[in-house]
Amino acid sequence: MLKWFEQADQVRPGVISSRVRLVRNWNQYVFPSRLPQKESMEMIHRLELGLKDLGTLDGKTYEYLYLGDLSELDRKAMQERRVFNSTVASKKTPTGLILSEDEGTGIVLNGTDHIRLQVLSPGLHLDELWKQCDQIDDFINSRFAYAYDNKYGYLTSFPTNVGTGMRVSVMLHLPTLSLGKKFNGLVAEMGRFGASVRGVYGEGSENYGSLYEVSNQKTLGLTEKEIIDLVNRVAQQLLTQENQVRRLALEKHRLEYEDEAYKSYGVLKYARRMSAKDAMIFLSRIMSGISDRILKMEKDCPVYPLMLGIQPANLQKISQRPLGKEDLDEARAAYIRTALPNLQGM
Amino acid sequence: MLCERCKIREANIQYTEVINGIKTEHHFCAQCAKEMDFGPYTAIFDSEFPLGKLLSGLLGVDEEHKEQKTHQVICPTCRTTYEEFIKNSRFGCLDCYGVFDLLISENIKQLQGSDTHKGKHPRYHSGQESRSFSLDDLSEEKEEAEDGAGGSIDVKEQLRILDARLHEAIAREEYEAAARYRDKIRELKEGIEKC
Ligand SMILES: [Zn+2]
Ligand SMILES: [Zn+2]
Repeated sequence: MLKWFEQADQVRPGVISSRVRLVRNWNQYVFPSRLPQKESMEMIHRLELGLKDLGTLDGKTYEYLYLGDLSELDRKAMQERRVFNSTVASKKTPTGLILSEDEGTGIVLNGTDHIRLQVLSPGLHLDELWKQCDQIDDFINSRFAYAYDNKYGYLTSFPTNVGTGMRVSVMLHLPTLSLGKKFNGLVAEMGRFGASVRGVYGEGSENYGSLYEVSNQKTLGLTEKEIIDLVNRVAQQLLTQENQVRRLALEKHRLEYEDEAYKSYGVLKYARRMSAKDAMIFLSRIMSGISDRILKMEKDCPVYPLMLGIQPANLQKISQRPLGKEDLDEARAAYIRTALPNLQGM
Repeated sequence: MLCERCKIREANIQYTEVINGIKTEHHFCAQCAKEMDFGPYTAIFDSEFPLGKLLSGLLGVDEEHKEQKTHQVICPTCRTTYEEFIKNSRFGCLDCYGVFDLLISENIKQLQGSDTHKGKHPRYHSGQESRSFSLDDLSEEKEEAEDGAGGSIDVKEQLRILDARLHEAIAREEYEAAARYRDKIRELKEGIEKC
């Protein structure tokens, strides 16, 4: 079964993925940081049991896991694929995970909060994702009463999640816009609207791959719809601006752009060793090259799955053997060489 | 180090701001931090996790407040103390919200730009898996407690009820009543500790 990020059908250029995340707590237990080991196990067990038939709601097939049963490598690889964050990945106390086969729907149990539900999809589909989240949320809530307060809304471990418990994000590829001098100002402006924009694989000029994530800062005092509209608006705004500067740059410097795209393709297709940094830079360039129709592949070539595949843990999973640092660069080059389709007419 | 805003008072709040990848260390005095627009603190929201220290810097600003009434406050349900709450900027259970509400509502408002939820409400108030929990039940329990022979109800239960009352009073914005409940909770706690 393909993972959600491998099913990139008709994705709009520049948009990688959308995500909606909800945080909830069951009113029968204290929050995870205060919950003793035994009760944690008991609660996870009761939650998994109570949600055994989750698949009847959306027709997906779910796996019920304990993070403690997974190897460190598997956990790290899942973190790279954004199934959960690094805090959960390195958590030592009992943690459960209900995960759909495509990894598009995931529920972390007894993470920072009792229930952390997230739904991911390629492209910009926040309304649809919210609908799915809302449904699953009701499904869970019909079995487990939530910690809820009329004033503060859904009660969460951290005051930064209280209220809706909702974090909405969109991942964008902004290679041209982020190079410009105005980008910092633009990001600051989005901050004033209540949206944060940050590098996915690093900060500032170190964000190799030029992937950026837009998300809501506040969770309280806004409706879910307002949060989604805000993130949608900011994402659209950034995309429009990226397109504008890119068109202009293409008009003025077509040859340089073509040269960059083909050279990057050449390196990716033939190099024998490849650092993570170089791979991200070149993959970002062919991502642009493909969406600007400079590079035409023999078959569809979604680049984001390659960016995930070259991350250390996933690369080791794909290579099916433990890799040292030297081996990693070699394996990375080999993986990309194999995964990258040929150019049309070459 | 002097506060970088007023350049007069000693800076006792330090935080690292990350904007567009540029990390900047800032030092402010408590007073300036309080007066400042929350804008610079947006770094808190950048990660899925609040950086505990950032928030504790913010929450810890009010020294007077702290000395006067906070060192006694402890959540009866999960035993999180106000100090622990400040240190980790993390609630230990749902009752913490009621227990610490008077002390932190301003901070939450500052952090979130609002202190009132506008979004979705739970569609179900009692799951199949959990017994229903309403304030009516509590009133009955309370009366039983009062009718019964003194001391027959265990202290933990009393604390739980008082805490719910506190919660309720705060929800109705009856702060005097809330303060009374909080004092009662404190008395009981001190009683337990002496035993
Ligand atoms: Zn100052
Ligand atoms: Zn508590």
